[in-house]
Amino acid sequence: MLADVGTILTGLGLLSSAYAFFAVSWSIRSDDQRWWESGRNAVVAAAAVLGLAIVALLVAFLGDQFSIDYVAQHSSRDLPLYLKASAVWGGQDGSLLLWAFLQALFAALVLARPSRETQPLVAWVTVLMSLITTFFVAVTLFLSNPFAPAPIVPADGQGLNPLLRHPGMIFHPPAMYLGYVGLAVPFALGLAALITRRIDEWPAAARPWTLAAWLFLGLGLLLGMRWAYDVLGWGGYWGWDPVENAGLMPWLTATALLHALVMQDQRGGFRWWSMSLSLLSFLLVLFGTFTTRSGLIQSVHAFARSPLGPYFLAAMAVTLLGSLWLFYRRRRLLSTPESSEELFSREGMFTLTLVLFLTITASVLIGSVLPTLTEALTESRFEASPAWFDRVTGPQFAALVLVMGVCPLLGRAVAALRRLRQQGLPTLAGGLIVPAWAGLAGFTRPLSLVGFAVVGLAGGTAVGEVARGVLRRTRRGEGPLQALWRVFGRNRRRYGGYLVHLGVILMAVGVIGTRFYTVETEAVLGTGQSVDVEEYSLVFEELEHDSQSEPAATRAYISVYRNQSHLGTLRPRMDQYSDFHQTAAVPAVRTELRQDLYVVLAGWSEGGAQATLKIFINPLAAFLWLGGLVFMAGGAITLWPEPRVARLSEPQARRRRAWSTAALVVGLILLALTAWLMWGNTQMTTASTRLPAQGEGTPAAPSGSRPRVGEPAPDFSVELLDGSPFTLSEANEDVAVINFWSPDCQPCLDELPDLQAVWKEYQRRGVAFVGISLPNLKQDVRDTVSELGVTYPMALDTMTPVEYGITGVPETYLVGSEGEVAYVHIGPVSAQRLSQELEALLAE
Amino acid sequence: MKGKTKLVVAGLLIVAAVAYLIVTSTGSTAHYFLTIEEVRELGEEAWERRLTISGAVLGETIDYDPSQPRVTFTIAQVPGDPKEVERAGGLAKVLHDAVNSPDAPRMEVVYDDVKPDLLQHESQAIIRGQLGQDGKFHADEVLLKCPTRYEEGIPGQAEES
Repeated sequence: MLADVGTILTGLGLLSSAYAFFAVSWSIRSDDQRWWESGRNAVVAAAAVLGLAIVALLVAFLGDQFSIDYVAQHSSRDLPLYLKASAVWGGQDGSLLLWAFLQALFAALVLARPSRETQPLVAWVTVLMSLITTFFVAVTLFLSNPFAPAPIVPADGQGLNPLLRHPGMIFHPPAMYLGYVGLAVPFALGLAALITRRIDEWPAAARPWTLAAWLFLGLGLLLGMRWAYDVLGWGGYWGWDPVENAGLMPWLTATALLHALVMQDQRGGFRWWSMSLSLLSFLLVLFGTFTTRSGLIQSVHAFARSPLGPYFLAAMAVTLLGSLWLFYRRRRLLSTPESSEELFSREGMFTLTLVLFLTITASVLIGSVLPTLTEALTESRFEASPAWFDRVTGPQFAALVLVMGVCPLLGRAVAALRRLRQQGLPTLAGGLIVPAWAGLAGFTRPLSLVGFAVVGLAGGTAVGEVARGVLRRTRRGEGPLQALWRVFGRNRRRYGGYLVHLGVILMAVGVIGTRFYTVETEAVLGTGQSVDVEEYSLVFEELEHDSQSEPAATRAYISVYRNQSHLGTLRPRMDQYSDFHQTAAVPAVRTELRQDLYVVLAGWSEGGAQATLKIFINPLAAFLWLGGLVFMAGGAITLWPEPRVARLSEPQARRRRAWSTAALVVGLILLALTAWLMWGNTQMTTASTRLPAQGEGTPAAPSGSRPRVGEPAPDFSVELLDGSPFTLSEANEDVAVINFWSPDCQPCLDELPDLQAVWKEYQRRGVAFVGISLPNLKQDVRDTVSELGVTYPMALDTMTPVEYGITGVPETYLVGSEGEVAYVHIGPVSAQRLSQELEALLAE
Repeated sequence: MKGKTKLVVAGLLIVAAVAYLIVTSTGSTAHYFLTIEEVRELGEEAWERRLTISGAVLGETIDYDPSQPRVTFTIAQVPGDPKEVERAGGLAKVLHDAVNSPDAPRMEVVYDDVKPDLLQHESQAIIRGQLGQDGKFHADEVLLKCPTRYEEGIPGQAEES
């Protein structure tokens, strides 16, 4: 039933978009307004019915309609709701339907509120966009229909691949598709501009669409990278796989296109460049879809060979030949009016930038098809390893960043050197300070220092430009914050652009750090044993196996110390999916600005008494994600329309301001969401404690000497704060809780009220409590205890922590009725966890 | 026109530099992409080269020692040419046939690393590494794909180990 509805809706979408194509074409030919109106309605109708088809597919997923083959293959009953919803684009059929819908939606959006520049192009754009939509809907309906019935209706679906069950993977595909679809708009606008001979309107009309598409592609790539880092557990984020490259290439050409459009808009010229780049971007979108489904690329990640390949190849051929023919017919229009052709002018540098983007794209393309290519040229088949890509594209990216630093300093064809002397101070400063800082911080390999210097030059320029803008305003008496706000607000394109550059530079720092300095080691640890990796000590505390849940999860608790200071507990995890016969190792990451500590639980032996860990230290990795956020923020600022309020009437202006505010709010929410996707999912507790300063008998216990669970707890006698004695073996209770803490450790202070609450509940049930503070001023301890209302016995002691092998605070021990250690908790313990353990002990 | 010439020369220099990079990198860092059969044919010559081989994983041969960590497994010959795979009835069928054919050339693989999540019976393995003088293939990197079940849903680097 639902399947029929979906198929019919898709069919209606096909009819509407095909009708729109013919009706609008006819309206152009006959100059008949009625056909135009009718075609316009058909475009909106196509978007609406395809939207309903998506809803139908969504309902099918949410309602577990396994009579539909696609649903049966990509969902199952036990999947959480949000994953069922995202499974809509979990495979090829559904993602093509989404693509078709977005294509129709964008066609409708171009129509909905055409800007002044778009107005004269809108009829032809509608023709072209309808044609593209028709192609995608037809491919979906006839070759890859997600509503096709299942040959046998299974009782339950096959489920979603475990590796895809991650928030990053929910947003990654739609972001990529929005980018792909968006790149069709500037292309269609370009052809329309050529046909109507209105090429000067084109840059302004195409810019916002290109920018939006480019931002979405960037977001998609970023989320994909973060997903790989968070989920796949190989320590990296980019593997130069052909499928990743297929997404990267259109992004590269779109970046070039944006720059060409800016130059065409500001200085004239660059018409050939921008027109061919828009064609190339669109072709690469088709090419990516084609290669990943055609078997041309030998990739483990390619989609299964499907009948789609030849159709995409045909579409590419038609697009290429049609466009080239049109370019040829309009070659006079495309030939550039006089502009500066000096090498060291802004135009010259922009040209070199574009050349570099093209050579990088070409390198990536060649690398992706190298096996096929070398087999055709020579006898043997070569395959491009990640090292190949690093070696080939690394210098090119470096050159690009260098040009990025130099370019804004070059004005029109004026003497470049003089300008460099006047305004180049931040650039040079950046070029010196960044490598110096990196060298002092221990990043001393020569090649990476060159990289840091280049990055510093470019970063200095970007920061310098913004600072100059702010300074100009503060000299006129504006406050610094207001000046900063206005610099970005009044010239969004320019300063948003600098912010994007700054984001790219930050990302470059992350790339250099992770490519040159990553440390990777493996360790096999028994319970309580530790391993030192660089400045970290990692102690394997215990393995926790939860076989009840699906997937069955096994967690390793790894205490992390640096200079005997307990940094936190990492919990890398291994999930076992019984229905998939697959395991998924989910890494735990501790992020600092300087480096990420990245731990993977790779296996265990001896019944869990021994764990195999894979440990990575990824220097400067945080800069990658930080740069990504700055990049997105900068992009959002450039996309945010300039307020041309002055020329508008009051209600119009008010509406414009309301839109502007709404856009700001949406932008901020998106950024927050991105930030959450970046950092919200890593597997670790955030405890951070420091032992008191060395000296005066600070327990410098070597890790590993603490009594294990089951071993007798060391007996001790201490003097409590009120002067009375406390001896563990004489506590006359069934169970004892010993909490080691220190008043200068915030997590300890956080957990004290929890401990107090548990003590209140259990003190009459045979549970003794004692808190032992590490050496401190007695008065500090007294003050803290009375301030927090802690009433259980409390002592200050030096020896006991040593006997218990305390490596950091807080730590909590449970001692059973036989005087044995029953449970150890590293880091702050929650009331819930403690009660749970106590209940279990008391039940024995 | 002088400015334009300079610009064109600069552009050509970049293109030439990139072409040089591509050619030399292909010589130095690219891997020979071979099938098991082709590796066997190379004989001793194969010892010195960096190779990428692909094959079908035999599930019962997978042996994982997490205390090393070290994985060993055996792969069976599959054709390297996509067209040949297509003629034989698709990748899933080729992999299935390969593991069930006692005549298909096989190769033992040693991978001193943790066991990849997707290493299982009949998955397609693409392995980068070197052929040791012991006749075993010593892998630096193992990429995997299971065509029977996940052929569509895995984007990005899902199988990277």
